[in-house]
Amino acid sequence: MHPHDRVARIVLPVGAAAVLTTVLIVGWVTQPDRFVVGYAPLQPIPFSHRLHAGDNKIPCLYCHTGAQRSRHAGVPALQTCMNCHAVTRMDRPAIQKLTALYKEGRPVEWRRVYLLPDHVYFDHRPHVNDGIACQTCHGEVQTMERVSRAMSLRMGNCLRCHRDPSAALPTGSKVVRGAENCYACHR
Amino acid sequence: MTGPRFWKTLGTRRDSFGEFPPGAQEPPPPPGEADPSRRRFLALTGASAALAAGVACAPSSDGGLVVPYAKKPEEVVPGVANYYASAFQEGEAVHGVLVKTREGRPIHVEGNDAWPLAPGAAHFRATADLLGLYDPDRVRAPQVEGRQAAWPQALDRLAAALREARASGKPVLLMTPALLSPARRALLGDLQRALPTLRVAPWEPAADHAGRAARKALYGGALAVRPRFDRAKVILALEADFLGALPGAPEAIAGFAQGRRPAGPGGAMSRLYAAEGVMTLTGSKADLRFPVRPSSLAALGFALAKALAARGAVLPAGFDPAALAPFDLAAWAAAQKVAPASLDHLVADLAAAGREGLVLAGPSLPPEAHAAAALLNGLLGAEGCTLDLSASPAAELISPAEMEELRVQAASGAFAAALFWEANPLHASPDPQGWAKALARVPMCARLGLHRDETAAACGLLLPIHHWLESWNDFDPREGLLALQQPAVGPLHDTRQAEEVLLTLLRALGGDAPADYHAYLQARWRREVYPAGSPVSFEGFWNACLHDGVLAHEAAPAAARALDGEAVSAFARSAAASAPSGHELLLYADAKTWDGRYANNGWLQELPDPVTKNTWGNPVSLSPGDARRLGLSDGDVVRVDLAGETLLAPALVQPGQAEGVLGLALGYGRSAGSVASGVGLNGWPLAGARGLLRLGAALVGTGERAPLARTQEHHDLLGRDIVRLWTLAEYAEKAEGAAKETFPTLYPPQEFPDHKWGMAIDLSACVGCSGCVVACQSENNVPVVGPEQVRRGREMHWIRVDRYYEGPAEAPRTVHQPMVCQQCDDAPCENVCPVQATNHSPDGLNQMAYNRCVGTRYCANNCPYKVRRFNFFDFTSALPEPLDLAFNPEVTVRPRGVMEKCTFCIQRIQNARQTAKGEGRSVRDGEIVPACAAACPARAIVFGDLKDPRSAVSKLSRSDRGFKVLAELGVKPSVTYLADLRNPSDGGKV
Repeated sequence: MHPHDRVARIVLPVGAAAVLTTVLIVGWVTQPDRFVVGYAPLQPIPFSHRLHAGDNKIPCLYCHTGAQRSRHAGVPALQTCMNCHAVTRMDRPAIQKLTALYKEGRPVEWRRVYLLPDHVYFDHRPHVNDGIACQTCHGEVQTMERVSRAMSLRMGNCLRCHRDPSAALPTGSKVVRGAENCYACHR
Repeated sequence: MTGPRFWKTLGTRRDSFGEFPPGAQEPPPPPGEADPSRRRFLALTGASAALAAGVACAPSSDGGLVVPYAKKPEEVVPGVANYYASAFQEGEAVHGVLVKTREGRPIHVEGNDAWPLAPGAAHFRATADLLGLYDPDRVRAPQVEGRQAAWPQALDRLAAALREARASGKPVLLMTPALLSPARRALLGDLQRALPTLRVAPWEPAADHAGRAARKALYGGALAVRPRFDRAKVILALEADFLGALPGAPEAIAGFAQGRRPAGPGGAMSRLYAAEGVMTLTGSKADLRFPVRPSSLAALGFALAKALAARGAVLPAGFDPAALAPFDLAAWAAAQKVAPASLDHLVADLAAAGREGLVLAGPSLPPEAHAAAALLNGLLGAEGCTLDLSASPAAELISPAEMEELRVQAASGAFAAALFWEANPLHASPDPQGWAKALARVPMCARLGLHRDETAAACGLLLPIHHWLESWNDFDPREGLLALQQPAVGPLHDTRQAEEVLLTLLRALGGDAPADYHAYLQARWRREVYPAGSPVSFEGFWNACLHDGVLAHEAAPAAARALDGEAVSAFARSAAASAPSGHELLLYADAKTWDGRYANNGWLQELPDPVTKNTWGNPVSLSPGDARRLGLSDGDVVRVDLAGETLLAPALVQPGQAEGVLGLALGYGRSAGSVASGVGLNGWPLAGARGLLRLGAALVGTGERAPLARTQEHHDLLGRDIVRLWTLAEYAEKAEGAAKETFPTLYPPQEFPDHKWGMAIDLSACVGCSGCVVACQSENNVPVVGPEQVRRGREMHWIRVDRYYEGPAEAPRTVHQPMVCQQCDDAPCENVCPVQATNHSPDGLNQMAYNRCVGTRYCANNCPYKVRRFNFFDFTSALPEPLDLAFNPEVTVRPRGVMEKCTFCIQRIQNARQTAKGEGRSVRDGEIVPACAAACPARAIVFGDLKDPRSAVSKLSRSDRGFKVLAELGVKPSVTYLADLRNPSDGGKV
């Protein structure tokens, strides 16, 4: 075999495969956490959305009050928890922990489930005000004991819905398309 | 190319060096190595690959934490801004402001629409002083003899010293800022009763001391003067930079701009004459400008008075007409090389304007010039029309001469204690060195200030006070006007409000005082301001006042003031006796750092001077004629000898500056502060107690170089049609068909389904004050890059104010042109981006996605307007805490290697759109106001929807003065400029 043939037949393909594998592995390992579906961090207080939003049917907006009037839906202040827990289930250790924090004026440090990068300015207002259900992006939170990420936060996922939002919108909505330009979300 | 030829620098004017600077078209020289080719290339490739791998393998973080409030304040919705009305005091001026806060921290300062003096217009120094709140150099806890101490310990020491002084009857000095606050004055009155030996000395180095001295002699008291530019038809500014450096600038610009917008060709327009030595911003907007020696301006004033008197104006009672005998307009014109015909026009215009004429003298001029201006205003009958003389006296201030007396007194050991509240005599006073020596003789020196500055370094006790954004106060800047200052944030550090320190001292001295200044202030308002028998409760009244930030009530009309004729005669005789020689050095408070108190503010240091476009320092400006004669050019270090004192500074050759005149801005040369120290030199000792105009200076070059950091010095105009400057007469000729140029295009027409955002900028209303630049920097997280980067042309401002000259270098005409991204429909930057990081939005914006940008800089090369800015370095991530709190959370903080540019404040557009959508309506015209437009005191910048033919911006875009910059390129900019207009007296040439 001519020495050049060996290079062409073996070394080049093996080398190319090695480079490709490296790229894929590095890409997979270093991909941002926000792409991963099913991320469900352990929270400092085992708050159950299944109990509150599911069984007790508390509306999402009771706690996440910002969704209609701010970019951020917001995580409720401890005060909101104490609206009920000043009188109910005060025997549970988690509630006692909550009450102690509240009395000291210290906040709960929740683990973030959904995180967008700094250059993305997602606005809850237009989505909620157009009647898109929270579950469209956040999944069936009312069935989750511990919240886990239901949607990968890739731009492709945003755009898929923006290009054909009919499934997400309530029937009769006049909206046919979402914004697709950069400045809609990036500033 | 027809019409006037504009130029930017003396270099390009003299020998037009083509489109690019020499050498720009050659490849860069090879690096120093012998074999720069393959080896070096491989080494660099390897290094960059390793670096890229390192960056990629940075640990990916988890989602982090969400920390909600434990008890949420009722008014806070995370993500929604709150606005608080407040007031900002600076010397003798007060500006009503709105403070924008997010989650409890101030992020932007704008004008308050309810502020009657200048609705919606704050001084840009108020906007910039947001950075002062987050200044990392602020002192964070009290210090005793250089060691951190607790407040009670520090205050006990001070109180003990004061009690001792009271017992021994030795005087105590308290140096304060101007006392424009009634509650503050009441508190000092209480303190004085408890400590009878207290000497309160309000010291403002940059106040109009000469004008105050003149008015004291002329009217029998230092009156507060309010010029009404909105009513003036003819204005004569004698070295008075009312549009620029003077503290009342927003009100002046707002009023002046009203007279600069004629309804159409032949419409009414005010006329501004300026006679001045240095080129001021006001002079650059003048219809007729006389570059003359400032020492001759008093003579000009008296000669004009003589001419007006000859036309029948009545001289004040007691005035000796013989005092005017030495003055003669024709002789003055010959001596100052001014065309006599233009002075005849000036006299005729003033006589015709009558009470709608206005003459102003600047604070750098001696009292004689102020007396001449007062005499002229008296002859015109301006009082009550263009000049409001307040019924109440101006805030009490000590003069530079009294300041010197205090220093001598301190040096003799007369004071038992000295307290310095904000005033910084070791930098800004007639004799800073002398004060340093004098303080060594004062047993107890205390500093109530924000920084460990020059004065603090000489004081044993350092008591850090609140920033104004953390403070309560009230102000009465004018008769019948009360402003409230309220904290927009809790104290960031272990500081106390200065008044609270004084209240503690008052209690320690046995006085009766509430624990905090808020209670003291409220008690005073309940007593003195709250109308007795009002159906509204005091709480309701107080909250309404806090909401508005201002309480205006009917002021008693000021009685007509008679000029003391004898005093005017005396000033005229003294003006006639002055004989100038040598160069004249004119010192003036800087438009940016003012008396030096803002020198530690990077935004202001990097703001290009409105006229010279110099940043980071105060060069000596000189005339092109003097520069030619002495063989000097920009950046040559010169030595100025002045009766034994010398000054070494880089030179700046300023077109339009009068021959024989040198200019130097005050407010630099600080020796404390991580930003301020080492920038420029301190001019205050040169001023001394003799006033800000020094005669008999000698100028020589030293042969050394100290390059200036100036912007707008690159590239040539090549006669391109960038700005338009018309006289009122030319307006009538050129208006026809001005905005109707159309150019062929190869691009398909663009569709804009909902909106098409656009802007109109009226160059006639714009005075070039640069307030828009500061507002944009604050709103859009624009970084500060430092003098070295500015010298390389890498400043980051998204909006710049270009300054163009036209005509001879000795007396050019000047145009100011704010330049933003033109958001071209067929944008040249978009076509060349290899990664589609910049492209077009359906509402007509040229959008820039930072996360997509790979930093090729092709777009910046292809931008005809040169508005794109590249992050050559990481300017943002290593900011010392708490500077990061000043960032606007609605705008991305850009990393290294990314291109950025004006977005038309997309965050404000999106917020307004979503708000409108939530309310089920479309966006109203005027609802979206970009930061630059909001900050413009002249309302020269108008933003809106070009698709709506009734919007304000659409109407302006169709104006007969409208033009697009470089329209011939066919890029279809979204910004329409309205030609600058001048109203020269002879109708034709300016």
